[in-house]
Amino acid sequence: MSVSSVIEQPLDLIRASLDERVLIKMKADRELRGTLHAYDQHLNMVLGNVEETINEIVVNDNTNEQTVKTTKRKIGMLFLRGDGVILVSPPLRTK
Amino acid sequence: MSKRTPGDFLKSVVGRPVVVKLNSGVEYRGILTCLDGFMNIALEQTEEYINGIRVSSFGDAFVRGNNGLFAAFFGVNYFISILHSTGKVKKSIMLRQHTKECQY
Repeated sequence: MSVSSVIEQPLDLIRASLDERVLIKMKADRELRGTLHAYDQHLNMVLGNVEETINEIVVNDNTNEQTVKTTKRKIGMLFLRGDGVILVSPPLRTK
Repeated sequence: MSKRTPGDFLKSVVGRPVVVKLNSGVEYRGILTCLDGFMNIALEQTEEYINGIRVSSFGDAFVRGNNGLFAAFFGVNYFISILHSTGKVKKSIMLRQHTKECQY
């Protein structure tokens, strides 16, 4: 049975991604990649082995030049509040 | 065409190529797999566009849609519906491109 045949509502797509690596796009230009251990209807999630990517626009005070500064950090286990979530995607299935 | 509710419209759009435009201006183009009462949306073969430029693509994608957060869903779907009902394909260059891209 293919994954798409099981999907009747959007949250089924998340359920199909349990215990898999997922990509989560968050507000404030942040991305999380990690293993999805649990979720609920608010998109609160528990993620393991997470890598967070933060993109910030930095303005140089002298030249007023804008550059994008990318910061990455690793987090072993994480509870994520769902209201910051924009998009969830299983990244490994894309390639 | 008989009277239709928004729900009927949305049901008729499932399985079709759509553009989901968020309030941030980011667009997701893909096949609408399903949606729920919060307007959470599941898409297949999703491509992310920022300022009309393709930035990345996802196989499947879940877009969180409630609380009036980001998902402003109707804009282009509405145009797609016009496209289908009147056949005026030249109405919008952007849409024409979209329909081409979406003939999977």
